Amino acid sequence: MSNTILGYIPLLDLFFLHLGLAFSQWIVLRAGVFSLATVGLAAIGAYTAGIIATKTGIPAPLGLLAGAFTGMAAALLLSWPLARLRGVYQAIATVAFLQIILSLNIYFEGLTGGAMGLNSIPKSVGTLTLFAATAGTVYLMVAITHSRIGRAFDAIRQNEAVAASLGVSITGHQALAFAISGALAGLFGALEAYHSYALVPTQFGFQYLIAIMSYVVLGGRNTVLGPIVGTAILILLPEIARPLAEARMLVYGLLLILVINFLPKGITDTLVDMLKARNLARRKVAAETAETRS
Amino acid sequence: MSLELRNLSKSFGGVIASADVNITVPRARVTGLIGPNGAGKTTIVNMITGMLAVSSGTITVGGRDITRASAAEINRAGLARTFQNIRILPETSVLENILIGFHRHETCSTISALLGLPSSRRETQDLRNRARGLLVRFGMAAFADHPAGALSYGHQRKVEMMRALASEPDYMLLDEPIAGMNDMEAEALAQVFVELAQGGMGILLIEHNIRFVTRLCQEIYVLDGGRLIAQGPPAVVMKDPAVIAAYIGGEHA
Repeated sequence: MSNTILGYIPLLDLFFLHLGLAFSQWIVLRAGVFSLATVGLAAIGAYTAGIIATKTGIPAPLGLLAGAFTGMAAALLLSWPLARLRGVYQAIATVAFLQIILSLNIYFEGLTGGAMGLNSIPKSVGTLTLFAATAGTVYLMVAITHSRIGRAFDAIRQNEAVAASLGVSITGHQALAFAISGALAGLFGALEAYHSYALVPTQFGFQYLIAIMSYVVLGGRNTVLGPIVGTAILILLPEIARPLAEARMLVYGLLLILVINFLPKGITDTLVDMLKARNLARRKVAAETAETRS
Repeated sequence: MSLELRNLSKSFGGVIASADVNITVPRARVTGLIGPNGAGKTTIVNMITGMLAVSSGTITVGGRDITRASAAEINRAGLARTFQNIRILPETSVLENILIGFHRHETCSTISALLGLPSSRRETQDLRNRARGLLVRFGMAAFADHPAGALSYGHQRKVEMMRALASEPDYMLLDEPIAGMNDMEAEALAQVFVELAQGGMGILLIEHNIRFVTRLCQEIYVLDGGRLIAQGPPAVVMKDPAVIAAYIGGEHA
């Protein structure tokens, strides 16, 4: 029995690592920024931690902090030119940013190990640390949702002119969203470095970016539950569909096409909307019956 | 204390949208701004609220120059507006639409908001209660949890007004607030506007319903082709030959 559970530990680790990055992606989308920088920022955090772990004697907790910090600093720098762009232009600019990060990794071979990457990073992060980091992230996201910052993010995403007309600083809040996204990406990048012994530049490529974006699109963009459900489904899918292993990418693509077409708000957001509508209808019926009785 | 527009002009390339407009919106009164379609009424509101750059002239509020201020700064200076083409936040509930209006009065620190500390939670709870108060005042308490995007036009206009009111402005700019409402709803709103003015708020009312405007306003400004063609008390303005010509001419064109 314990063996079967232990068999799923790597899958659980993967789920936590990817969920952290999914929230990094989710928070910028929430604030109305179409950024695809998360994977690039994660690479910065991962390499910061990897270099610290292999070339200095600094302990892992400080390495994790350094990863979060460099991710946040890079995101803040990036938010400045991006504030002038909107929509798909932000997406293009952030994909370019990812390419720059990958090229820099190759260029500074002495520091990053170039195409060979960094090897024999001492493993100091296990499932428990990953769980703690993810739980902390979820708490943060819920807290933000119910605060003035979450409300400002929601307003900016839905209508910038309205948000501005009510005194919401657009550039300030979008920079804040970027900072949070960068810190999360940097932290989970660093966790990945301390968790997986080795780093290679190709692991932070376009495919990773698509995977992270898919978690958010599939799960839902407006509720904290969205990225959790999306990541869980897409991480578990290859396991459930083992017989279809050959056709994994096909199933993945098909699922996304179906969701985008039939549940454009994602699985959880659609369900939440349906539940709310049902509650409203029920209350209305209750109010009407109360009226006819009195 | 008043909102003052002095020699305000706006041109788009060669097209003149406003020329030398002088308007004074005092506190504790409803001031009307009328004119045929395309007269440049919304252009004026957009310039006041920082959504359109001013070509020349000045805008001051209580003596403070806000001509080149950003939309957010202008709101913090005490101005709020509604939109002629309704701009509701469609994905959020009616209550949440109103909550965002309180933004400039929210005081809890960024750290507290990020970490969900008690001060942040208390503030949210407090604002939800105040938003419910506004809903009761506008007769929409039953719609608090409805998705705002699914409401009728009249209700969406009310949500915009509550949202603007939530920022507790000194001046409100209402761009066609009763369009799409029936007489009873309009009457209820007229009552609200009178109460707000009695409470000290300065209101600039843009409206096509002349009867509604003449009843509420002590002072009316009439725009045509971007220029002011008349101003004064309703009884005087409505008899002005230039105003009559503008409206009749407008209908024939």
